[in-house]
Amino acid sequence: MALIAVVDDEFLLADLLAGLLVGEGHEVMTAPHGRAALQMIRERKPALVITDFMMPLMTGLELAQAMQVDADLADIPVILVSGAQGASARDSHPELFAAIFDKPYDRKAMLKAVANLLDTP
Amino acid sequence: MVEHLPRLPSGISGLDEVLGGGFIEGAAYIVQGRPGAGKTILSNQIAFSQASAGRRVLYVTLLAETHDRLFQSLSTLDFFDKAILGDAIRYVSVFQSLRDEGLDAVVKLIREETQRQHATLLVFDGLLNARDRADTDLDIKTFIAGIQSQAAFVGCTVLFLASAGSSQDSRPEHTMVDGVLDLCEEVVGVRSYRQLHVRKSRGSGSLGGYHQFEITDRGVTLYPRLEAKYAYPSRDEEPSKKRVGTGVAGLDEAIGGGLPAGSVTVVVGPPGSGKTSFGLNFLNLASKKDHGLHFGFYETPARLSLKAEALGLDFSKKRVGRDLHIIWNPLTENSLGKLAHQLLEAVREHKIKRLLIDGIGGFDRAAIHKSRLMEFFSALTNELRVMNVTTIITWESQDHTVNENSDPFPEISSILDNLITIREVHRQGRVQRLLSILKVRDSAFQQRSYEFFFTKNGSAAIDATYASNPGSLS
Repeated sequence: MALIAVVDDEFLLADLLAGLLVGEGHEVMTAPHGRAALQMIRERKPALVITDFMMPLMTGLELAQAMQVDADLADIPVILVSGAQGASARDSHPELFAAIFDKPYDRKAMLKAVANLLDTP
Repeated sequence: MVEHLPRLPSGISGLDEVLGGGFIEGAAYIVQGRPGAGKTILSNQIAFSQASAGRRVLYVTLLAETHDRLFQSLSTLDFFDKAILGDAIRYVSVFQSLRDEGLDAVVKLIREETQRQHATLLVFDGLLNARDRADTDLDIKTFIAGIQSQAAFVGCTVLFLASAGSSQDSRPEHTMVDGVLDLCEEVVGVRSYRQLHVRKSRGSGSLGGYHQFEITDRGVTLYPRLEAKYAYPSRDEEPSKKRVGTGVAGLDEAIGGGLPAGSVTVVVGPPGSGKTSFGLNFLNLASKKDHGLHFGFYETPARLSLKAEALGLDFSKKRVGRDLHIIWNPLTENSLGKLAHQLLEAVREHKIKRLLIDGIGGFDRAAIHKSRLMEFFSALTNELRVMNVTTIITWESQDHTVNENSDPFPEISSILDNLITIREVHRQGRVQRLLSILKVRDSAFQQRSYEFFFTKNGSAAIDATYASNPGSLS
């Protein structure tokens, strides 16, 4: 079981996803925007980050970019979950994200992607 | 010297006129209304219009539907463009900051985000939730002031959306903003009408009263109250002595060469008396230079074409759309504002010079408040006159035996130029139609009756011989 960071300004969505992951036995920490997430990720080094795109102060894209240039964080896989930017992220920044989901997403597919990335089938 | 403040166009048809030229740049507004009133669509339409003009928008929500649900519902509207989400328009939720840290933290976050986004428009959806978090009126005022002051400083216009329990709600925070827009719904009988009312407008004249609007696939379309928009006609009238043919044989001679150009004529008569046929003969004289418009409520365009054909007139598909235009609004769900807008737009677009409104009852039925009809028709006819449109309006009278010497419409006839009645008389076992000329602007004419009939080929005509022997009226 692993520590996962869930980053979303829309707390209901963050809450639902966190609940889903906790149900699978994971430990989850949440943050309302990229800036708070980055600080939390630096402190606790989660095994996986699942982030929204459009958020205040620091977007999901900016968060992934900041993690990539930080040697300590560059290896942590990032899943992007987006209402509108899924397609453009797939086109312009495929290297930043281990998986990209469009909202609303399929919960089973999400759990499968999480399991694959954590290598705990 | 009067200073004109720079404006932010709303991108919503009719709204800028109501606001006296658009929102004032860097000013703050409250848009309030019950859930479902149209606040979200209105503000998103403004946001997308700004974004498509190359400007940047920050859309902040508190506790509302999730953004992907919002995008889903917006995606059915023409203005929505998924490609600019996250770039020119950014949607963020600040609920967690509000919950965990309070109003001050939200102000700080929005200030920072406005700058990050280089936003020139900020929409804050959830003033009611912010109000709930405030302990006192002063807290919510401070919150608004905190957001507004920085927005004004960077030239960003702010729209605060608020769910109002009642549209009559007057709140302390209204004193903090430059404008307050009410979106409300009026229920009359079984129908409801959406209306917008500018409750407050600082630094800008606005059109008062309630303006109807509708929400369609194109978003919000507002119809500024006609009598407010055209309190004075849009330009000076240039009266001419020109005359316009009626298309009714014999009538032009009887009224001094035709109807005065740019005048408004009402033709009154009972059902079946030939008012529409009169009007069709008039429209038939439309030409490439002087287009004609049939603005009707009864016959469908197809039925109208058949009727014209029976009168020997050409309203065929080949002709309609060239020098002749037909707009048909069934007597169902009409609104005065939309009808007038549609009519004046068509007159402008097609350069209409001959207009038949068939009939006035269509406007009467559409009016929720009948008391405004006089002012409405004053504005409408004044505007038609300055555009030099010669207009005939049919008016269905219930009484088959209108007394030719009495004026059945004392009030409204004062805003009309010409008045013609058609009535039916029984004479020697025959029903005859009598056409009487009661009023013609600037004309010497005999106030008398003529027989009104249709010739063998169907076209309308009048005959003066009847008048020489009026004694045998039954």
